[in-house]
Amino acid sequence: MTEGIALDLAAAQADPDGFAALAERAGGTVFLHESDDGGLDPWTTAVWLAGRTQGVRIGLPGTVSAASAQMREKSYESLEILAGPRLAAAIQRRDGIDYDGIPASLADGAVAPGDPRYRGRKSTYMRGGSPGLVLRPRTVAEVADALAFASRHQHLPLGLRSGGHGISGRSTNDGGLVIDVGLMNDVQVLDEPRRLVRVGPGATWKQVAAVLDKYDWAIGSGDYGGVGVGGLATAGGIGFMSREHGLTIDQLRAVELVLADGTAVRASADENQELFWAVRGAGANFGVATAFEFEAAPVHEVGWAQLALVSPDLEQTLVQFGEVARTAPRDTTVFFLTGPPRQGQSVVQLYGMVDSGDPDTVVERLTPFASTGLLAQQQVVITRYADVMGQAADVGPGGHHGQGEPVARSAFLPRLTPEFARDVVELLASGQVFFFQLRHMGGAIADTPSDATAFAHRTPEFSVTAMGSSGAVDEAWDRLAHHFDGLYLSFDTRTDRQTDAFPPATLARLRTLKRELDPGNLFRDNFNIDPEVQK
Amino acid sequence: MTDYGHNLLFGTFVTPNGPQAVDLAVTADRAGLDLVTFQDHPYQPAFVDTWTLMAYVAARTERIRITGNVLNLPLRPPAVLARAAASLDILSGGRIELGLGSGAFPDGVAAMGGRRLTPGQSIDALSEAIPIIRDLWNTDTRERVNHQGRYYQVVGAKRGPRPAHDIGIWIGAYKPKMLALTGRLGDGWLPSMDYLPKGADSLPEMNARIDEGAESAGRAPADIRRLLNFMRLDGGPAQLAEQFADLALNHGISGFILGGDDHELAEVLAAEVAPATRELVERERSH
Repeated sequence: MTEGIALDLAAAQADPDGFAALAERAGGTVFLHESDDGGLDPWTTAVWLAGRTQGVRIGLPGTVSAASAQMREKSYESLEILAGPRLAAAIQRRDGIDYDGIPASLADGAVAPGDPRYRGRKSTYMRGGSPGLVLRPRTVAEVADALAFASRHQHLPLGLRSGGHGISGRSTNDGGLVIDVGLMNDVQVLDEPRRLVRVGPGATWKQVAAVLDKYDWAIGSGDYGGVGVGGLATAGGIGFMSREHGLTIDQLRAVELVLADGTAVRASADENQELFWAVRGAGANFGVATAFEFEAAPVHEVGWAQLALVSPDLEQTLVQFGEVARTAPRDTTVFFLTGPPRQGQSVVQLYGMVDSGDPDTVVERLTPFASTGLLAQQQVVITRYADVMGQAADVGPGGHHGQGEPVARSAFLPRLTPEFARDVVELLASGQVFFFQLRHMGGAIADTPSDATAFAHRTPEFSVTAMGSSGAVDEAWDRLAHHFDGLYLSFDTRTDRQTDAFPPATLARLRTLKRELDPGNLFRDNFNIDPEVQK
Repeated sequence: MTDYGHNLLFGTFVTPNGPQAVDLAVTADRAGLDLVTFQDHPYQPAFVDTWTLMAYVAARTERIRITGNVLNLPLRPPAVLARAAASLDILSGGRIELGLGSGAFPDGVAAMGGRRLTPGQSIDALSEAIPIIRDLWNTDTRERVNHQGRYYQVVGAKRGPRPAHDIGIWIGAYKPKMLALTGRLGDGWLPSMDYLPKGADSLPEMNARIDEGAESAGRAPADIRRLLNFMRLDGGPAQLAEQFADLALNHGISGFILGGDDHELAEVLAAEVAPATRELVERERSH
């Protein structure tokens, strides 16, 4: 029990200044209690008391009334910004968590609501969150401790967080647990002749690229350096070098995980092969990855392009982009981004990479892309892969501050047809989509057979992503369904679309393994393969 | 020529971005301004919760009146808000006014867990909320408050606490329906000059809508104080005083609230602009 005194809100109502003086004299924690439900509002009184006194800690009689959990969190956070930590720790604790039972190895690093570090750890890049507890293991043994704690809290959501960048990935939640491996972020060259690199799940791709740059190597990741290794390397990784070297998971040579029962295992082509197969596309269902070993590729200078086009005829631009992308050499990857048309015109951002340091080659590769619309702005530079990843902002202890829930839809597009282009124009005209992206696939992605990894969608021309501001986007999005085959699970916030994420044979195989390795379904937050479901 | 005859109030419009906002409020208080006001956009990560800020500012100031400018109703349920406002009015010695809006930025509201309403629905929700708030403040009877509305349901709520003074409900309104609602239900009108479609030239028509609203509800137009925010203003103290006096005497504006988050501006407003404006207006009114 915290030391302190209990004061009735009625006393504050009768004599506010006398009440504040009494609280100040008492010191320690002042527990406000209410004997009259028509009396002073506890939260307002608590904040006023914090402003009227120095250093008094305040306990509240119950949950603060607010429009939503988010508004309640915002109130707590605001008081902390204005007055420092002034609320009794227990106030912000969430139900159903054994705070006193946090394993000793994790107690120092664990972050609960009310902790000054909480504000920087509760939300992710795209999603507002208010977990009840964030565990921050630094070692394999601590990950096992965290999982033992999590298995005692199966009634609560469990999020796994590496970089906190995930769109579908539930690396935060409301009132549940988060295992945050952000501190496990070593990047280490294991074997220089073989270009073998060992990377912690909490490193960002920006950090990885910076280390490898000194060796003239790179591991192709996604399109943003702020993304964490763990989330991407267990899902796929469709980036600027995938057409040349394959997906990020295709560079993976071994992975170490802690399974649901706390066992630490290594999976590679030589051991635990079935798990190695599963981690490469469905990793979030099987364990907490603690280290990845990749084979990096030799990469020197690259051409990096950002083009802005204006298109009076988006349908035509899309068709032409499809043709150019389809015939582009493997060294060239260009992503397409647009939003709703304005005054009959679309602004299209093309951004991508040519794996060549020769300016003439870079210009030659990009010219056909640049002519798919009216070129309004262009920036093309010869640079390093690490500099492209390095454009991502560093995220310090301040953390991410996403809010709300993102609404994202993903699909694989086997072929960009004129009919698809026409339907995209309609989709954008609906006003429901503010972000529409095509990621250029093909090339080396398709060199790996569909059944070689749990990421089975090897042959589409593009990965398509649309973001809207509400679920209302589906009416327009679903009209495109006949063009698609499957979805990329990292980019779709409907995490119950397992049958779109995985073809039937893949899903059946994953389920068999899930029954073996996680029969209690501890890892269930992101495209969960439920072990209970019968085929 | 419209002048509703209210005493003049001068104040600041402060960005609720944390400790700096408290400092600005303390400056306004010490300078002798009448009002310190805060916009309310909780979905802005850089902003603190405006109600929490107001309660904290109330504790750190002595005599200035404090209001949201304006509070976002969809994120402030009326029963909670009524109790909070009355409580802070008691704790602050009667220094709280209730600036209230129907809520803009539906995406932001939804991101904070609030209800997504169309503009029309928001207006209906506001017209439900105001009588609930007034009912809960009215402790002349002990009868429990029941309200079965479309947007708000209050079942057997205990009244109180009773505010220390008659809290004014000041409404941020621009469109005809909102202006009419302000006339029917409000104690004040709190728009921003920068958002008036034709600037000061919009005032006669907008005032008329409020007046009609008031009369339709059997109230007098003078029951509704007219205040105005200015996000930025050019000119020295004498020019500002003339501009304000003109707005007071010809458009019935009796509250002048300046943005800019500028300590010095607040001091000049209190020490020079306010007395000069009052003098000009009093001279004219006494004729």
